Order: sequence, then structure tokens, then C-alpha cells
Amino acid sequence: MQSPPYPAPHPFAATSDVLTSLAERASLVDRLVSQAATELLFPTIPEGLALISVGGYGRRQLFPFSDVDLLLLCQNEDVPRAHKLEISAFLQRLWDSGLRVSQSVRVPDECLEVHEQNSELNISLLDQRFLAGDRPLFAALSKKFPRFVQSNRDALMRNLVRLTRERHSKYADTFYHLEPNVKETPGGLRDFQFIRWMEQLREADTNRLTSPEAPEDLRQAFRFLARLRSALHTQAGRDQNQLTFDAQDALADSGDVAAFMREYYRQARAVNRAAMRSLELWDAQSSALFAQFVGWRSRLSNSDFAVHRERVHLRAPQQLETDPELVLRLFEFVARHGLRLSSEAVNQLEPRLGRLREYFEEPRNLWPALNQILSQAHAPLAVRSMHETGVLFALFPGLEQIECQVVRDFYHRYTVDEHTLVAIQNACSAPGSYGELLQELPHKGLLLFALLFHDAGKAHSDPAAGYEGHVEASLQAADAAMRRIRMPAQDRETASFLIGNHLELSLAMRTRDLADPKAIHDVAQIVGTEARLKALTVLTYADISAVNPSVMTPWRSSQLWRLYLAVYRELTRELAAERIAESASGPGAELLEGLPVRYLRTHNEEEIAEHVALAVKSEARGVALDIRSLDSAWQLTVITGDRPGLFARMAGTLAGFGMNILRAEAFSNRRGQVLDTFVFADPTRTLELNPSEVDRLRTTAERVILGKLDVRELLRNRPKPKPPSRKVRVPTAIRFDGDASATATLVEIVAEDRPGLLYDLASAISSSGGNIEVVLIDTQAHRAIDVFYVTVGGRKLTAEERSAMGEELRKACGRA
Amino acid sequence: MKKIEAIIQPFKLDEVKEALQAIGIEGMTISEVRGHGRQKGHKEVYRGQEYTVDLLPKVKIELVVSDSRVDEVTRTIVQAARTGKIGDGKIFVVDVIEAIRIRNDDRGESVL
Repeated sequence: MQSPPYPAPHPFAATSDVLTSLAERASLVDRLVSQAATELLFPTIPEGLALISVGGYGRRQLFPFSDVDLLLLCQNEDVPRAHKLEISAFLQRLWDSGLRVSQSVRVPDECLEVHEQNSELNISLLDQRFLAGDRPLFAALSKKFPRFVQSNRDALMRNLVRLTRERHSKYADTFYHLEPNVKETPGGLRDFQFIRWMEQLREADTNRLTSPEAPEDLRQAFRFLARLRSALHTQAGRDQNQLTFDAQDALADSGDVAAFMREYYRQARAVNRAAMRSLELWDAQSSALFAQFVGWRSRLSNSDFAVHRERVHLRAPQQLETDPELVLRLFEFVARHGLRLSSEAVNQLEPRLGRLREYFEEPRNLWPALNQILSQAHAPLAVRSMHETGVLFALFPGLEQIECQVVRDFYHRYTVDEHTLVAIQNACSAPGSYGELLQELPHKGLLLFALLFHDAGKAHSDPAAGYEGHVEASLQAADAAMRRIRMPAQDRETASFLIGNHLELSLAMRTRDLADPKAIHDVAQIVGTEARLKALTVLTYADISAVNPSVMTPWRSSQLWRLYLAVYRELTRELAAERIAESASGPGAELLEGLPVRYLRTHNEEEIAEHVALAVKSEARGVALDIRSLDSAWQLTVITGDRPGLFARMAGTLAGFGMNILRAEAFSNRRGQVLDTFVFADPTRTLELNPSEVDRLRTTAERVILGKLDVRELLRNRPKPKPPSRKVRVPTAIRFDGDASATATLVEIVAEDRPGLLYDLASAISSSGGNIEVVLIDTQAHRAIDVFYVTVGGRKLTAEERSAMGEELRKACGRA
Repeated sequence: MKKIEAIIQPFKLDEVKEALQAIGIEGMTISEVRGHGRQKGHKEVYRGQEYTVDLLPKVKIELVVSDSRVDEVTRTIVQAARTGKIGDGKIFVVDVIEAIRIRNDDRGESVL
């Protein structure tokens, strides 16, 4: 194949305008086409055939090795049939002269209908340009074309939007690719044209097609991308549009590849932003239902922010100067409602970034506001818009070093900042069991914060230090940030733990035998507590799957889950028998002595401190209670001396108030003190709406514990709630295990949950002479999973005791 | 030429790769697979629900070497992959009739 005829290649660094070289090449090709046509076509076809350039060639933007899009417009279908030989000789000539011709043969009517299956044809005609042949034939088409466009505007736009969305999703909807395709990737040349076409279609009137002028920053981005594509073609000698690592090395002006790629991402971002605006505008215009929805959403407006057309606007942007923390409330609003910022708001933020940066430089108590943002349902969207607007870097200059940072290896597909954003998104949309784990986390905000910084040190890490080289640097960056936003020490510790160990689980997956108890024990030692294990598992899932879209194979996902299960078991159930030998001194601290080690693994320092304080309080009256509201439930904690049937009576009291127990724990220590915790739902919102009911619950519970009130009395007065009818019944399963613990028998009961179930089960155990040592209660949907560690007279159960207790329990499960 | 197909424990992959590189083997194909041999699956319980794990995760390494290297390579894999416990995996050696490099149509052992 010959090399194509083009003027001297346009070097990337050249100062002459790239558009001029593209147009020159188009003119050159014009001449070649006309020449060949004059020689081979028009002598035998003097009329009824017009040659028209379309697509990139039509708009005189012909890249060195791009296809030459040629439309052979024929008066009628006889023309191509009668002149098959001449046409193929003509095309052959063009191919022989090195042009890659992509031709289509059409009659005018075909150019004036909507092609659902071939929308590219419709779109390419927007850039039609007459070359040679039957001019009146072309004139007739170009006269009718604007009317066609105008009357089919919606269908044409819809198809164009569909093509664009399909293309974007092929590139994972991001422009932060390590080896981007300068034409097709979001923010590429194709998007620039997309913006133009949408504008053109929107403004189409019946007489003519307008050719709207793009704003200056977009034209600048276009020229940058066009220079790149031109250079890529010249370099590869073919239609090669991917900015590969090799190409980056070759094209980086000063040899600074990182700076060169930053420039690329900056330009692509401008184009991408404009393309997204155009897509959003289409969405807003295209659906009546949407319009109604939009109207509804605008009711979310408040005194700071207005919601208009599904976008958030700042009511008083100048307020940002006196009250920079308004910006945090803005993103909290975004995170809460899942609404994007309006372009105006983005533009209003931009000139104020310097002021924000200055303000946030001082240590300030920002963590509560940040945690609010990170805990909302749409936190990933908020973090992404903080990144796009630059607010994230104003807030955390330590993250700036990973902006558009390229990590070159086999499997990474995104820049480090994009990897971070994708990981945050993945954590929040994790499927199946991982999603459930996320729901169980007490501090989603902390997990996302840890993800935000987990790779912050990548910029400083020495590649020679290998896989884990960046962890230390990430920790340092995070620590500085956490201190500046005055994150409490305990949260700092958790976040540092997650960042510092973010590679541990994947390391264990790759290098440890998951069937080996020693390996699992080692991981459990590192992880320490159940809550940390859950957070680290979700983080690992999110981190691995953000490397590239195909890396989290089902195989890997099940390996991670296997590791989680093994460590979870190691941390919880089997350790119920181990007791805390000694504890720190101090008032109330003896509470901890003799509690199961599991207690330490399932509670953080703050909770332990509260329990110790509660123990001190209990000394005066023999009992102390704490009732508080959690995010979506309530929690009751009680410390008192052990009494027979205590756990059952507490469960009964809550049932008597119509509360639905979700989780429960009971521990007893060496001094015979009992610590019971119940997390329960309040289905009728009684406690929330009547604060006095909280007090009544407290007093009643105290009286029940001290034996002044019979819990059966309480339950008798209560109307029996009807168990909700369900299609799926959960079969009851009762299992005794004498080996799980050294000192007690494990009784595991899985049954359909219902109000009062726990009271009935605990009563059944007590009435068969059992003493409840440890309880772990959980519910999943309608399934109650109750694990009791039971002793009789301080020892494990005999076979007879088991079967008698089993019988009682089965009866209790059956009681509705 | 022989093709060596080794099914090993996932956590032994890095060690086996390093050991092979140390004796000058560069090219290999690695896949994540599941299966079971004599090491049957087992049951796992999470929150009262039982999961049967009957297919266990393994890694498959495939490489083709000249006949003269088969012993050395299989010995290397065995050494690196062995823990002595059930589930260490297996190695299969099969004859290869032809090898072709797609890029330039080279044939035979020079392709390896």
C-alpha cells in the first residue's frame, strides 16, 4: 500500500495551526477525487450523479490516515446499476492513490429519512459538502435537508444521544484512562463534534443549517486534541487514535510525560464537561415525566440552595467569601439528594477556590460536616463533584499530587484520582454480601474517608519499593489532613488502620492458604475487631474492582468472601470461650475482667468507656440503664448483677413496649455482673414522637430487673400483634454444639422472626434450667439468627438436658 | 515439545512463578479455575446459613517447553507448590505436535 498523499506531517509541537493542515489535506483529497471523477465517471455519467464529501472530510478536517467519507448521490437507483464498472474503476483509482475511501451510494430519498439502524448516516450528512458532478441534484437535496432535519429533530437527537451514551459506556464513562483514545474516549474529538451536532440540530430551521461556533476554551481543547490525533496518525502510519504509553513518551514536548498527560486530561475535561451539559439538556427537554419530576424536586430548595431543572444553584454565591463552610453544606445537599451542581454553581465556585483553600488551610473542626457528606446515600456523587470543581483539592491539598497521576503497569486502567473516585463509588454500590456488609458498618463516612486517602501516597512512592511502597506516604498525607479537620483521635485511628492495612486482605488472598487456621489467625490478629474486618473487606472489594472493570472476577470475589468468612469466625464465635484475664485499673474497670474476649473485638474504645461509666453508676442502685437513639434504631444497654431469667425479662419488656429486637448481646463477667445490649426498631415511632415514653421504658425496665414488676403482666396488657403474612416461611432449625466453647454449650436457633420471639426463646432456656452466658442475636430480613452460650450449673449441657431444652425451644418457636 | 499443565493452590502462584523465572522460563498462561479432586468440598456456615463449597478455587498454569526441560520444570513446580497437604494440586504433561508464532509464522521449538 502506498503512503497517503498528505502535506508534510503536522508535528505535534508545531506552532502552525493544525486546522490549516487538516484543511489542506482535505483540499488535496478534493483535487484527487475530482480528477479521478473527471477521468473515469463523468465522461459516461454526465448527469444524475454528484460526489459529496461528508463527515470529517465534509467539514474539511481530514486527519492523515482517516477514512475519506464519500457520498455518491444518484438521481435514481438505475445510475449505480448501469455504471457499476465505471464506479468501481473510480474507487479503485482512489484506493490506488493511497486513500482509504469509505463510500456510500444513495438516492436523495434515502438521505431524507431517519435511519434507526444507521444513525451515523444521518449524522454524517450534517457535514455535507459538494465536490463534483451534478450540481442541481445536490442543490435539490441541500434545499430539502434542513426541513428534514427540523421535522425529525427529536428522532435524530435521540439517536445521536444513544450512540454517544453507548460510546461513553464502552469507556466506562470516564476520560481518566491511562491510555486514552483521543477520538472516542469521553472528552475526545468525537464529543466535541457531538456538542456541535446537538447545537446544530437544536437550532435547525426549515431553510438552512446553522454552524454554531464553539466557545473559545472548547476550540482550544479541540485544537489540542486534533494536534494529538494528527501526530498519532503520522507516528503510527495508520488510523491509530490511542494515546499509548509509547506514544506519550514520544509526544511529551519536554520529556515530562506526567505534565503532558495532565494537560491532556485538562483539555479532555473541558470537552467532557460540555458534552455532559449537552446530554443533560437533552434529558431535561425530552421527557414530560421528567419535567414533572423536576418540578417535584425543586421543592427541595432551601434558603441556601435552589433546585431548578434537577440542578443545584447557589442562592447567594458571594456568601462563600464570608462563610466558606457553605461549600460543605452545598456538597452535603448534593450527597443527600443525589442532585448535580448547575454549571452556574460550578462557575461561581471556581474563582473562589483560592479563598476556600486559604480558609481550609487553618485547622478547623470540619470532620462533622465532612462526615455528614460521606455518610449520605449519594456520597460518591458529592465526592466526584468536589473533585471536578477543585473543591476537594482546596480542602485537601495533600490529594493534589494524585490528580491525573498516571501509574503505569499492566492492569491499572485509570489515573490515581479516578481510581479513587471509582473505588468510592464501588464501595457504595457493592453487590450482594459486600453490600450487606456496608449496611452493617457503623461508620460509612470513615470508610469513604479512608478510601479517599488510601492511594494518596502514590505520587511519592518509589516504584522500586514495589507493591506496598505508597502506604506509608498515604498514611502521612491522611494524618496531616485528619489533624487539620480535627477528626477525633479514635476515628483517626480507625481511618489510619484502614489506610495502613488496605493491602492486607488482598495480600492474604494471594499468598496465604485460606484453609490454614494459622493463616486465618494471623489475619485476625492484624484486623483485631469485627467492625474493622467488615470495613476492610468492603474497602478491599472496592479497591480491587476499581483497578479496571474486569479485575474483580467471580473467582476473586469468592476468594475474598472466603477470607472474610474465615476471619469473621475466628474473631467471633470460636472466641466466645476465651476470657479477658486482666484489665486496666480505674473505677469500674473491673467490669471487663472475665468478660469474653469477644467483647473487646465487637466494641470500640468509646463504647467500652461508656460501659465502664455505666458500671460505676450501677453500683448505687444495683442497676444502670442507658437508652439512646442510633441512626435508624434504638439501643438499650443495661448493667446489673446476674439474676435468673434476666435476659428473657429484658427481651420481654421491650416486646411489651411493641419494640422489635434486631440485635442483642449478653455478657457476664467474673464478678457476676451482666452487660446486656439490645438494638431494637420502634416500628410505630412511639419513642421518637413521645419523649416521655423513653423515661417510662427506662423506669419499667428497671422495675422488671429489680423484680418489682412481673414482665408477664406487661405482656398480658399488650394487644398481640398479628404476625405479618409472608409467602416464604423460614423453617425452624435448632442446633446444639458442645465443642464450640470449652465451658458452655452453643445453642444456635434459626427461626422466622416475630415480635416477642426472643423473650419466648430466652424464657424457654431459663425455664429448662439453663443459664445464658453469652448471646448473639441478629436478624436478616425475616430470619432471626440467635446464638446462645448456655450452661447448667456452670457446666455444659448433658444429652438429656439438650433434648429437653430443644423441645421447649421448638415449642417457643411455634408459638405465634 | 511438551505442554505442562499445573493446577496449584492460588497462594502458591507467586512462588511458582518466581521459581520458574529463576530457571529461565518466561512465558506461561495463567487462569483462575475452580474444581475438585480428592480434596472434596466442605460446608461453611455464616449467620446460620449453610453454604456448600464444592468447587475449590485453584490456579492453572500452562506452559510449553522442549522435551529436554520437562523434568527440570516439573520438579521446579512441585518444589515451589508443595505444602504436603491435601489440595496441593496436580501436574499433567502432554505432547505438543506443533507451535506457531502468529506474528511471523515461525514454527517449532524456536517459538517457545
